[in-house]
Amino acid sequence: MTQLLLFNVTNGLIIGAFYVLMALGLSLIINLSGVINFAHGGFLALGGYLAFTLSPFLGFWGALLVSPLLTAALGLVLERLLIRRLYGRDPLYSLLLTFGLAFIFEDATRFVWGAQGLPVTIPDFLGQPLSPDLFFITWYRLFMVGVVAVSVGGLFLLLRHTRLGIRIRAGTLDLETVSTLGVNVGRLRALNFGVGIFLAGLSGVLAGGQLGLDPTMGAGLLMPSFIAIIVGGVGSLPGTLVGGLLIGVASGVTAVFLPSASEAVMYVLMALVLLARPRGLLGEEGLMT
Amino acid sequence: MTEALHADSLHTYYGKSHILHGVALTVAEGTVTTLLGRNGAGKTTTLRSLVGLTPPREGRVVVFGQDTTRWPPFRIAGLGVGYVPEGRRIFANLTVEENLKVPRGRPGPWQIERIYALFPRLAERRGNRGRQLSGGEQEMLSIARALLLNPRLLILDEPSQGLAPRVVQEVFAIVARMRAEGISVLLVEQNVRMSLAVADHAYVLDDGAIAWSGPARALAADEARVQALAGATAEEWRAEAR
Ligand SMILES: Nc1ncnc2c1ncn2[C@@H]1O[C@H](COP(=O)(O)OP(=O)(O)OP(=O)(O)O)[C@@H](O)[C@H]1O
Ligand SMILES: [Mg+2]
Repeated sequence: MTQLLLFNVTNGLIIGAFYVLMALGLSLIINLSGVINFAHGGFLALGGYLAFTLSPFLGFWGALLVSPLLTAALGLVLERLLIRRLYGRDPLYSLLLTFGLAFIFEDATRFVWGAQGLPVTIPDFLGQPLSPDLFFITWYRLFMVGVVAVSVGGLFLLLRHTRLGIRIRAGTLDLETVSTLGVNVGRLRALNFGVGIFLAGLSGVLAGGQLGLDPTMGAGLLMPSFIAIIVGGVGSLPGTLVGGLLIGVASGVTAVFLPSASEAVMYVLMALVLLARPRGLLGEEGLMT
Repeated sequence: MTEALHADSLHTYYGKSHILHGVALTVAEGTVTTLLGRNGAGKTTTLRSLVGLTPPREGRVVVFGQDTTRWPPFRIAGLGVGYVPEGRRIFANLTVEENLKVPRGRPGPWQIERIYALFPRLAERRGNRGRQLSGGEQEMLSIARALLLNPRLLILDEPSQGLAPRVVQEVFAIVARMRAEGISVLLVEQNVRMSLAVADHAYVLDDGAIAWSGPARALAADEARVQALAGATAEEWRAEAR
């Protein structure tokens, strides 16, 4: 029983780590540009599939770095051609466009790589369990959590200590004033979008190594990521971090006792949090610090 | 004398409402020009048209000899136009120090150390968040932020609004100081007497059009006109004059 509980808590933490990466990217884009990117899961899947195609040439480590970068590059192209047109418009347009993009991504992935799941080869030593007692925790799982922790840490350092990050935070509050201070806010939004998509691509590679690839893998993470954002408080990135881990663990633990409710529990958690704190756990409108 | 800024027959709209009806004004280089007018006359809209935030639908804006009418705000700022907006609009979620890292600085004398020397209060509070500052400190921060652009033209929208009299004095002292440094200034103010004292030239805006323009001294001497055009009531004017 303890083993089972431990297994599901770790599982929950790992799934939560994916929610966090995905939700942080979504949050960055929502906060600065007001676009709710329903195609985020499509970018995630693309990151995973690119790693599958590239790893024979670059190896796992090369693919781990290059695939998210390529995904982000495609993100920048789409931002330039399409997403940019959504800024300042009714959110309905962003829903229509990014929802459409999500379908295109899914079908394009299916068309290129096929509908059946694909495995991603990870280095042998990462596939080993930590110890016979903890047979369910492989080094790979630990590695994933490590990569997520480093990326989240890196993101927070970027936002706190670089001019780019400081301008993103300022723009979250008042983009117009940022523009009068000589900052090209079109470029600021594009870079910010690129960072968000990089995080999605990275989660895709990591997820592929654990669960294999499937064209719908990103779509399944989208709803929990939105819940993570809402639970943590829209506008607060630390909130998104807490929210992602919380709903991951909650659904992991629930899976032990009532497997059929492991998804519903996220919604219940969200309702409870919103009843107690309508702005979410760390929500303070527009203050993403 | 060359012109820092020249605007011609500006027609500016918010959606369908036609706010500016052919505003024209000039800021001569090295001078302080003040733009006065009643609440809702269109002063802020004029400034927004000049800095690219609400581009005019008709008319022309020329900044240091360049036609900037259709330029985005960041390019206009890049010419050396500092804008201190109405209500200060500092970044409340950032520290003072971070606020000062947002501007894309241009080379020149105004670097962070000189800013802190001019505004010691900001140096003391560099680690505090914008929302923890007093109104006066916020105004100083908003001005400091614009100075980091090393502006050749500084545009201020009601910098003394809501400040204690001592701080108002300080704000006007800064305007005078900028002029002494050779920075051209366009100043929108409710504080008519002090603006006219610091300005070389004055414009009065009414209902989206320039109703009067001339030397600031001439307007200051014409009390009846000031009351009629600048919107100051007789009591306010006399109280200010004391
Ligand atoms: N965003 C907006 N949308 C629609 N109308 C606006 C907007 N901003 C201002 N207006 C209108 O435009 C007119 C001019 O406003 P503006 O803010 O330029 O006046 P002002 O001279 O700066 O006034 P104040 O002294 O109160 O700051 C007003 O009638 C105002 O109601
Ligand atoms: Mg105004």
